[in-house]
Amino acid sequence: MSIVLKDVHRAFGANQVLRGLDLEVLDGETLSIIGFSGAGKSVILKHMVGLLQPDSGDVFVDGQIVSELELEELNEIRRDIGYVFQFAALFDSMNIADNVAMGLRRISGMYDEEIMARVRECLALVDLEGTEDRYPSELSGGMLKRAGLARAIATKPTYLLYDEPTTGLDPVTVTVIDRLIVRMKEELGVTGVVVTHDIDSAYRISDRIAMLHEGRIRTSGTVDEIKGSDDLLLRSFLEGRPELAERAS
Amino acid sequence: MNGFVLTPVEYVGRWSISTVRSVGKAGYLTTGALRALKNVEIWGPRLVPQMVSVGVESVPIALFIAMFTGIVLALQASYTLTGAVPMYLVGTMVGKSMVLELGPVLTGLSLAGRVGASTAAEVGTMRVTEQIDALETLAYDPLAYLVVPRVLAGVLMFPVVIVLASGVGIVTGWAASLWLLDMSSAEFVRGLRLFFEPFDIQFAVIKSLSFGLIVTSVGSFYGFHAKGGAGGVGVAATRAVVVSSVLILVLDAFWAVVLL
Repeated sequence: MSIVLKDVHRAFGANQVLRGLDLEVLDGETLSIIGFSGAGKSVILKHMVGLLQPDSGDVFVDGQIVSELELEELNEIRRDIGYVFQFAALFDSMNIADNVAMGLRRISGMYDEEIMARVRECLALVDLEGTEDRYPSELSGGMLKRAGLARAIATKPTYLLYDEPTTGLDPVTVTVIDRLIVRMKEELGVTGVVVTHDIDSAYRISDRIAMLHEGRIRTSGTVDEIKGSDDLLLRSFLEGRPELAERAS
Repeated sequence: MNGFVLTPVEYVGRWSISTVRSVGKAGYLTTGALRALKNVEIWGPRLVPQMVSVGVESVPIALFIAMFTGIVLALQASYTLTGAVPMYLVGTMVGKSMVLELGPVLTGLSLAGRVGASTAAEVGTMRVTEQIDALETLAYDPLAYLVVPRVLAGVLMFPVVIVLASGVGIVTGWAASLWLLDMSSAEFVRGLRLFFEPFDIQFAVIKSLSFGLIVTSVGSFYGFHAKGGAGGVGVAATRAVVVSSVLILVLDAFWAVVLL
């Protein structure tokens, strides 16, 4: 049970974003993907869940090639993957309970009472009890992210993909989200892939960190390995020192 | 390209590529929506709310327009016919014009503004805020969830609203004839019935169905392909209204050629 990307190429017009990307997400780990803005980190997540298809190369989820699946088969895989969007992407015409219930309503055989019980359980997991009847426009940025996380975990997925989960949040809320990500792994046993710019956050939540640069994984390793790396480009990113990136190139 | 100026050849080339691409996208959306029809469990619960939004909530504006159109038709018919032909023909002109042409087309154009713009804006906002992506990750076919119920609601409700509007236009035309033209009800009704054919209603309903299909499909298409934030949603809504309006006029002529 894992997610594997093999020699994935993807361009948007003339912009070649992924150039032979190889990446494996190991079962049960939390992998953070870091990299400069526009490097294509979110593009990787979207390939994992079939929102984007590679121009060439393959994305395997649990051994199945995502781009070759029929819609029904793809939906089966998607039920096993929770996706936390950068700006939550909650449905603004629905209250929070209905947002969290959306994925559950696609599972046949679940009654309304069971769905609502699961909704309350998920909201409790992200410390959002009592927000069932509120609308996304009534929540703060941090609450939106947590509601997005509640929606993502509602179907008890094996994988959780987080797209910039802490961007734009205050330091306290960042810590709250980080703890939630760790909690998802420890309590629910999910395999996590986190796309982030926030290196402190990546250190706190990751088992491994991979750096994406020029369409490929430039370097990857455990948190300690990354901290100890002497790759100038990686150091430039970690320390916020552009002069190191210039020396590296 | 020479600086920022396109040569005619480049312009034609770009226009051709853009047109072919749009046709391809429209074809993809259409086949996807047809395939999504089988997902009744997704679009079924959303059909009635969409019928309310597309149809019931459009009734006030449609009736408002029809009301004044009926009055103006009666007055213009009287102005044109006085002294030339019998006045009861005012009833004929109001009835025929409202049912065959002005009822469907004016209502269709007004709904192209209301329904087309709101469809493009709603779907477009969902596109640029990743809500459509979210639907997909939650195992919903976005075409079944967003497009199918809107298009079905358009096809089902446009005829209802248009027939209602045409009826109201005739009633206000009759009232204007009575109170402003000193005609009797009997005269107006005589004219109304003189050239009436049941096919007129069928013709209006066929036109209305096609208008409903076009307005909701075009709105969904531009919303679905919106990009670039609020500006992109605005562009999508504007294009939806303009293209729907143009297609309504083209279809109007098409049905006249084919069916009359």
